[in-house]
Amino acid sequence: MNKVITINLGGNAYQLEEGGYDALRAYLESAAAKLQGNPDRDEILSDIELAIAEKFRALLASNKNVVETKEVAAVLAEMGPIEVDAGETAGTGASKTGAAGSASGQKTTGEKTAESGGTPRRLYRIQEGAMIAGVCNGIATYVNIDPTLVRLAFVLLTLFWGTGLLVYVVMAVVVPEARSPEEKAAASGFPATAQEFIRRAREGYYEAMKGFPDRKARREWRRRFKREMRAHADHWRYNWHSYWTEHAPFHPGMGFALPFLSLLQGAATVVWICAIISLLATGAIFGLVLPANVPVWVAALLLLIAYGILVAPLKFARRSCYWGLGRARYAWSFVYLMDAIVWLTVVVVLLCLAFHFHPELQNAIHSIPSLAHQAADDIRTWWHGK
Amino acid sequence: MSVNEKFSAIRKGLLEFLVLQIIAAEKVYVADILRQLSATEFATQEGTLYPLLSRMRREGLLDYEWKESEAGPPRKYYELTAKGREQLRETLEYWGQINGTVKKLGQK
Repeated sequence: MNKVITINLGGNAYQLEEGGYDALRAYLESAAAKLQGNPDRDEILSDIELAIAEKFRALLASNKNVVETKEVAAVLAEMGPIEVDAGETAGTGASKTGAAGSASGQKTTGEKTAESGGTPRRLYRIQEGAMIAGVCNGIATYVNIDPTLVRLAFVLLTLFWGTGLLVYVVMAVVVPEARSPEEKAAASGFPATAQEFIRRAREGYYEAMKGFPDRKARREWRRRFKREMRAHADHWRYNWHSYWTEHAPFHPGMGFALPFLSLLQGAATVVWICAIISLLATGAIFGLVLPANVPVWVAALLLLIAYGILVAPLKFARRSCYWGLGRARYAWSFVYLMDAIVWLTVVVVLLCLAFHFHPELQNAIHSIPSLAHQAADDIRTWWHGK
Repeated sequence: MSVNEKFSAIRKGLLEFLVLQIIAAEKVYVADILRQLSATEFATQEGTLYPLLSRMRREGLLDYEWKESEAGPPRKYYELTAKGREQLRETLEYWGQINGTVKKLGQK
């Protein structure tokens, strides 16, 4: 039995045996290295991917979905090695030595990723999509969450203690910026080739869009492309995930810690729900009266964010427990299920009790729709007043 | 060294000329070009042809358009530009001269 890997070539998904995938990747990497310095490098590479895709397509049938390793080898032999075109040397002769240098550099990173199954992560600032210096963006990529959450956390830190600003400035100076493709890859932990493929696929997409004459063909192409890109992203997420499950530190204590962590998080959730209820029912959080100029819904929103930030380390601890425990593959779903049951039980039991003994809870739930209306009205008046 | 090996550099140089000639006849995509070449001494592979085609396009000798294929990814169909046709005409003329020279020299 062989492991099968799904890849995206020219906007279509193909399943290859693992050996075949490795051969294909090596072929494309060496092609990319040989074409270093060629102004049409990206285009030639995407042409080659399309040609390979077409050959794969010819091999597959309704009862055959996977391209075997030996078939991949045959296709690559048929493609032949990338030969640097004779007419090219005149123009790019000067950059040749530089190209050779970076080509060998690329090869070593290729070997490194092949060994570890993923690039080791490092914290970088990331300028693409950044608001200021890319600090939040970098952190978000590093811990794999939405950058907006990190930004909110920084804003809150600044609002309450002014520390957020200080931390931001220090990090903007201390944390290096991701410049080279390898550094960018290290920022997210995805191998450089994956990002390269995705970028090139996008370019190919726009290039192809230009070529289709009618709307229907364009729409069909767009739909297909989106689906394939999603499959591609899922694939890399899966790879990253399985990399972590294989390398996560394991400690027997995790088995005992996990239920307690879940209990703790369940308790935090209950406290948070109680706080929201007390806010909705009495207009004050556990007797703490809000300043007059803060509407109730803003306070509720702030509570939500504060809860998210407080619970984040708990969540992370639980997740590393999963990773540690989930190393034995069959245990994975079991651990997950047990944990979810513990967590849900705590929350449900406490909520039932609260519902039973505190009639305010019912009032609070009834007041939610009117609160939503109030929030909408507030936003509308603010918008029109602007 | 066999004749075949001796002429490998010359064949490589002539490939561009032959590709121009094939594309001049009709709109083709890469598999068509490879098939037409495969029966000749100039049999070649995608790995060689794609870099060549992209350079020729950059030099303005040919252009392509995308066409959907009934199965599989869309294909690039190549055609000659005016500059490409001009180049082909010049090359054919020059080739005729060389051919004449090869036949004529050494004959008394």
